[in-house]
Amino acid sequence: MTAQVRPLALPLVLAAGCLLGASAQAADKTMVIGALTPISGAGSPYGSGMQKALQVGVDDINAAGGACGTSLSVVGEDTQTSPEAAVLAVKKLVEVNKVQAVMGTWSSGVTLAVMPITTAAGIPLLNTSGAPAISTDDKADLVWRFQATNGRFGRAFAEIADQGGFTRPATMAFNNASGIGNTQGFVEAWKKKGKDIVASVVYEPKQASYRSELQKILAAKPDVVVMGSYLPDTTIILREWFQSGENPDLKWIIPGWAANEKLVEALGPEVTEGLLSVDSISNEKAASLDHFNTAFQKATGASTGGNVYAAMTYDMAVVWGLAMQASCPDLSPKAINAKIRAVDDAAGEKVFTFAEGKAALEAGKTINYEGASSQLALDAYGDVTPDFSLSTIAKGKLVRKGVVSLPIE
Amino acid sequence: MDSAYLLNLAFNGAVIGLITALAALSITLVFGIARFPNAATGDVATAGAFAGLLGPVLGSGALPIILVGMATSAAVSLLFYVVLFRALAKRSPVASLIASIGMAFFLRAVLTYFIGHDQRVYPLPLVRAVPFGPLRVQAADIQVIVWAGAALAVTFALIHLTPIGKRMRAVADNPDLARSSGINANKVMVVMWVVAGLLAGLAGTLLGVKTVVSPEMGWDLLMPAFAATILGTIGNPLGAVLGGLLIGLAQELSTPLVGFTYKIGVGFLVLLLTLLIRPQGLFAKNSLVR
Repeated sequence: MTAQVRPLALPLVLAAGCLLGASAQAADKTMVIGALTPISGAGSPYGSGMQKALQVGVDDINAAGGACGTSLSVVGEDTQTSPEAAVLAVKKLVEVNKVQAVMGTWSSGVTLAVMPITTAAGIPLLNTSGAPAISTDDKADLVWRFQATNGRFGRAFAEIADQGGFTRPATMAFNNASGIGNTQGFVEAWKKKGKDIVASVVYEPKQASYRSELQKILAAKPDVVVMGSYLPDTTIILREWFQSGENPDLKWIIPGWAANEKLVEALGPEVTEGLLSVDSISNEKAASLDHFNTAFQKATGASTGGNVYAAMTYDMAVVWGLAMQASCPDLSPKAINAKIRAVDDAAGEKVFTFAEGKAALEAGKTINYEGASSQLALDAYGDVTPDFSLSTIAKGKLVRKGVVSLPIE
Repeated sequence: MDSAYLLNLAFNGAVIGLITALAALSITLVFGIARFPNAATGDVATAGAFAGLLGPVLGSGALPIILVGMATSAAVSLLFYVVLFRALAKRSPVASLIASIGMAFFLRAVLTYFIGHDQRVYPLPLVRAVPFGPLRVQAADIQVIVWAGAALAVTFALIHLTPIGKRMRAVADNPDLARSSGINANKVMVVMWVVAGLLAGLAGTLLGVKTVVSPEMGWDLLMPAFAATILGTIGNPLGAVLGGLLIGLAQELSTPLVGFTYKIGVGFLVLLLTLLIRPQGLFAKNSLVR
């Protein structure tokens, strides 16, 4: 008996080994994506939450059996919120880790510096930066933006100024792509309404005083100043305005990243009373945001803490996973990239999680992923159209006044 | 452009120039006596500005903030001398320069590691500006003028009226001769580094009073301060102060012509023209601390 079995045993063992090997290989099929977020530097309040959110999205995909039979893994790098550091980091991700997509760049300066490198490598870049130049510089259609462009912020500013009944707006912009983008977006939308602005200033950052700049604005007697600014310069400008005692009834429309609790903390309730703060907000009515918040809480033991960029980064992972599924079996970065708009098809069935989307795609349906961060609705440039919140600062607290939804153009 | 507008621009330029001048004076003192451009000056100022945040523990108003800031910067400055620059004094000035750049990065890294990148503000009351004719003068500006004026006066008195100042000038003039005449060079160096630290700390806290306290503030101050030092002839204290004022005034007064984006360029254009026409700086006649 044993003698008869023995000749069969070796081939059997070999065959079993091959099968095992093959199945092990299938489970091993992973795609590496890079998380390039600001863990240190000016973006540090957001970066680590973004990195965790990306991992939450990837865990979602892997828990659903991966996309197109492939699971995802994440390699994280720190941009230090500095273009120089980000360029070194992205080179490492591309050349050493062989990532198939880079996600999570935050500051516009960083995104603009990283874009040429990912594009040259044929890899998509998914970012949360606002600068309008990102749209137009992306000739290869490999760059996707999950945050409102500064132009859209500007359009929201114009809606708010119009609704507020202001007639003599002036603009002040920090001299970079984001600051100028905000105010230019405002001016364009404002002029489209057939109205004029009374003065505009573009200022250099890191000044010991913005008094001269302010002097020019105040001389034009505006009723509202629309800002394209950051926290430190906004703090100094508002303090100098208040102390000057000129135009005490002047109103200010300021992006949310500059007009927040920290601004109130720095200036006190008296100076900040009545300031208008405009910020892009997450997709508050969508089930995807609830799903994300729960998953984030479960994975990290903490809430997102109002970090709107976390939901954006989570959506990047989900959109990428769905595009992989849609592009199956071709999983080259370019093929997946070409399917990103297909999973955000306005005519498709609305889905709110990766698992739902994967099931619908497998059933041969077209889908429309409603993101946790926004409805997405990616336009010709690969930019999303989120909603905006309008808050005023009253007695040192930010109070939500309403939501501004821009029409999809 | 009406004259009131220009007057306000000039006033603003002078106030900014005074802060630059304090940092430039610190740089030029070190250059005159220890003979290297101290790139850590800006970050020593930042350290003082952060230390100033502890000032309100001692009492209200700007005074405790400024005093704590100055004392801390002086301590940091002296520490750098004792552990580093004293040992490098016999080497070429390039060694000290590179070491000072390293110290600058080190100091900033330590600050950001423990305190983070968030901006801080001093808890000072906000006061409405006082009009002087067409001029609107803010409380912070008066602080800057009074403190900078006093610091400059005390520094010049120290250099020109006291025995230690005389020795400092002797060391600046000829270190070997000074030593052979029985001057304790080490003692002179200690005094000089403390004074340079006090000036840097004052520049940092005054900048913090006017703006916000952030880890990069001193580094951003360094470039205009170096420009002022070169413009006013390296090693010349009076020149450093006038250089700072000149750059501040040139930047602000040029804004009606060149706009706000290019005003910083104007400061450096002034420097460039000086270097082309008068490479030794404006006040080269009595170069070095004399």
